[in-house]
This record gives sequence, structure tokens and C-alpha cells, in this order.
Amino acid sequence: MNISSLSIGYDNNPILENINLVSNNGQMIGVFGRNGQGKSTLLKTIAGLLPPIKGQFNYEEIDTLSLSEKERSKLMSLVSTTQTDVGGITVKDFIAFGRFPYTNWLGINKEKDYQEINNAITLCKLEHLSHRNYDELSDGEKQKVNIARAIAQNTPIIILDEPTVHLDLINKVEVFKLLKELVNSLGKTVIISTHQIEYALQICDEIWLINNNKIEPLTPTQIIDNDKLKDIFNEDIISFDKASQSFKLK
Amino acid sequence: MFPLMKLFSSNKTAYLALLLTFSVILFFTLDLFLGSVHIPFKNIIAIILGETTEKESWRVIVLESRLPKAIAAILCGSALSVCGLQMQTLFRNPLAGPYILGISSGAGLGVAIFIMGLSFLGVSTANTSLFANYGLIISSVLGSLVVLAILLSIINRLKDIMTVLILGIMIGSVITAIIGIIQYFSHDAQLKSFILWTMGDLSSITTGQLKLLAPVVTIGLVLSFMVSKSLNAYLLGEDYAKSLGVNVKKSRIVIILITSILTGSITAYCGPIGFVGIVIPHLARILSNTSDHRILIPLSILLGINVLLIADIISQLPGLEQSLPINSITSLIGIPFIIWIILKNKKITNLN
Repeated sequence: MNISSLSIGYDNNPILENINLVSNNGQMIGVFGRNGQGKSTLLKTIAGLLPPIKGQFNYEEIDTLSLSEKERSKLMSLVSTTQTDVGGITVKDFIAFGRFPYTNWLGINKEKDYQEINNAITLCKLEHLSHRNYDELSDGEKQKVNIARAIAQNTPIIILDEPTVHLDLINKVEVFKLLKELVNSLGKTVIISTHQIEYALQICDEIWLINNNKIEPLTPTQIIDNDKLKDIFNEDIISFDKASQSFKLK
Repeated sequence: MFPLMKLFSSNKTAYLALLLTFSVILFFTLDLFLGSVHIPFKNIIAIILGETTEKESWRVIVLESRLPKAIAAILCGSALSVCGLQMQTLFRNPLAGPYILGISSGAGLGVAIFIMGLSFLGVSTANTSLFANYGLIISSVLGSLVVLAILLSIINRLKDIMTVLILGIMIGSVITAIIGIIQYFSHDAQLKSFILWTMGDLSSITTGQLKLLAPVVTIGLVLSFMVSKSLNAYLLGEDYAKSLGVNVKKSRIVIILITSILTGSITAYCGPIGFVGIVIPHLARILSNTSDHRILIPLSILLGINVLLIADIISQLPGLEQSLPINSITSLIGIPFIIWIILKNKKITNLN
């Protein structure tokens, strides 16, 4: 998987220019950066929601940015920060949205589709909710259902833009663990932007660190050993403690 | 048919659809039966089957007045309801309807220019009924197409669908203002015939016009059902729809085209008929408790037909010499219903 000379932003107002990086498939990649540095823009661009100013994002020799929506939807699925609130739909039917790229014009699910849906429900431990209405769920439950929908889409790449932002501590950790399991047991490539740096450092295989209009792929060990986080987060009020691998207030 | 049956998640919805089909037949029959002239039921059946009857005037009333009017009610109810449903989903706004994009207003402007504007140029539309009839239709469709063309030319440059909605409201307001100016300067006779058109009228439609309207509406409804999968994806928002493989730009244009043609043609023949497009989709959602368009589209068609047939029956209640304007009736039924939904039922926020 490689990104080559990619410039991203809106209407020729570039946020990040000339991004070049190569990463392995089948790992969990965290995207770190302060607000406004371009995390969401980067994820939206590689997910095909926002046209790039220039450049490419290749996955196994496929130039993903030139694919049609239909082709891309079989390659990558998306979980965004946007709160989807739709009534009159059960959790199971919501997860079934993940099968959209595979079903016929009328969207009729076949045996294989039901298998994928049930599989996603089991993986996310949502059996007890599957017949509830989606709009009656808590924010944490909704986010897990959204992730289950992306899993049912069964794509090699899953892109998540701050998926844990509305969740409490336990839910956050559950989501991280679930994503890691997808990488370990199913060989998925998970790209996740997050502000939960302490957890992400423990669980991600690689971090794309965005700072000063540059993006750098690093391992969590490299980040900790080279004090990389110091550059990003203001030292006057907070610092990253190497020994405990956590932030300390000053 | 078998995969279609799978769509009815519960038997309740299937029974509801069956019930509504029967009530369509009932109200359609009632609509033919009721009117200022009493015609025995068996004679009506005989007339429709093409048999000869005692009175020639009965044949004329049934075949040239009541039957076209009842069919117009069916086409109107189904087309406007489906348009409203599609607009509400596309714009993710529970109060969207065929009117909100300014397409109906465009049709209104075309008609206003035709009825009132032409007299300025010294063209009289009063004497030539054939010219007046077709001119009305052509000007109405042209008016809605102009608005549509403006919208389509801008729509791909706008990232946010809400901007399109606001633009539609703006276009509608500008057009209303222009119509106001035309009204101010026009003569009493023309003003009256325009006002009559704005009240909506199912009865002015002729069999010949129905032969054009019926296929257009049928094709529009079939196409609507065919895009129901994309409409379902739109429930999650445009970003998710895109990530699920929907070509958002293309389906947006297709949905708006279907809506404009349905609204434009219906408005041309029957005048602007309000609130059906907003109310019926909500009614369908409440009754079926689903957001699935594969169920909502057929259900909205059935509900829309029922409501328009009832409105038409009310408009010609026995004892009344003249029929009431149908637009007033749909508004009188529709507005309290919208207020009731807003106050009592939180379902209206389903779409966000």
C-alpha cells in the first residue's frame, strides 16, 4: 500500500502537500495530529469522498482513487464521526447496509449476505441488540453498530475517522480491541484517526504522524523513543512521560 | 414476485397494503357514483363496459367527467406522494416536498405568463380553447423545466445538498414575486382564470390529456421504485452512501429528474395541489414503521391515491351544485396532520 505525491485539501487550498509513504497491508495504522492538521481530510481523500488535488493512493497495484464508487466500495469501508440518526430501522437491517455493494438492484440479501451480517453481529457482540431499533441505541452502541456495518461490507481496508470520539472509556477500549482482532484474525488493514494516543500507541502497528504540514510513518516504539510527541503537543501545559507512556499535566 | 414478498418484513405491512388496495377500489367506485347528478350504480358499470344506456347524458357525465377525474386523482395522488418521499430522503429534510425545489413555482410562472402575460402582447387566449388547453400544458412544463435546468446547472458545483434546498426556496420566492407583479398588472378575467388554476382542479382534464399523463406518471413511478436502493443508502447520508458504492452525483440527478417530470406534468394538468407530497410519506412511515423505500414507495402510492380520491369525493359532496377547489381540501386535511405530527409524534425527526 503506498501513497505517492498526494496533495490534499479543498479547492486548491492544500492542507498537506506531496505526501509519499509506503506501509504494509494487514496492520493497524493510527493517524495522529492536532486538530486542523488534516487527519480527516487525509482519510476522506483516501476513502474517495474528497477528490485529491493530485497524486495517488495505491493498494496492491490498484489506483484506488480512480475507481468508481461501486468498485471502491468492495475495497474499503468507512466509519466516520458523522452521527447517523435514522429511524424506522432495526440494528440488523442497519448492519445489512454493509451488503449494498454486493446485492442486486433491489437490494435483496442472499444466503452469503446473511452469513456476513450475522458474522459481523457476532464479532461486535451485538446479538442482544439486533432486533432493537437503531435510533433507540446509546451513542456507544450506535458506533459499534456502525463498525459492524463496515465489517459486513467485508472489505480488505477499513477506514475509521475518530470512531471513539463519543464513547466512554470501556467502549473506547472495546472498539480498539475489536479493530485489532480484525487485523489479527482476518488480516484487514485498519486505518484509524484518533486522539486516544495512549491507547493507540499500545495497540497500533504503525502511526502516521502529521505535524508541520508533513506526514511521517513511524512505529509506536520510534515515537516514544525519539520523543516525537513533544513536537506536537505543547510542552508548557502537558508532557508525555516515556516511562509510563502517558501524558502528565504540568 | 417471490423476492418482493420478502420485503414485507412483517405481515402487518402486507395486510396494510392489501387493505389499502381494497379501499382504493372502494373510493374509486364511490368517486364515480357520487356527484350532482344521480346515476344508478348498475348503469355506471354498464357505461364503463361500453354498453348502451337509457340516457346519453349519463354516458357523457361518466366517461367525460367522472372517470377522467377519478383517474386524474389516482395519478396525482401517487405521483405527488412519491415525489415528496424522494425529496424528503434526498434533502434529509422532513418538510421537503415537490414544491420546495421551486419546480411547482416554475410551472406556476409558465402558466401565469401564458394566462395573464399573453394579453399584454395582444394575443387573446379566451376564444381558442384548443390553443389555450395545450398552451397551458406546454407553458407549465416549460416553466418547471427552466427551474430544473437552473438547479441542475448549479447542483454539481455545490458540495452540500442543503444549499440546493435553500436555493430551491429562493427560486420559489423570486418566482412568486414575479407572479405577483404579473397579477398586479393583469385584467380581472385573466386574473380569475389564473387564480382558479392555482386552486387545483382535477375536473378540467380530458381523456386525451390522460393518454399522455398516465404513461408519463407510470414510467416515473416505476423509475422511482428502481432507485429505491440508492434512496435507502441516502438515509445514512451522502458520505456513507458513497462508501456503499452509490454514485451520488448520478443518482442525485436521476432522482431530481424523476421528481421534476412527475411534478411538472401533474401541475400542468391539475394545478398545484399542496401538502399531499409532504404528508403522505410521513403517514407511510408511521403506519409501516420502516424507512425502507422498497416498502415506502408502494405504500405512499396507495396512500396518496386513497387520500386524493377522498379529497375528490369531499369536493363534490351531494347537495353542492359546484365542486370545491381540491387544493383547499388537501390543505385543510394536510396542515392539521402536519401540526399533529410535529406536536404528537417524534417520527418527523426520523430523517434528521
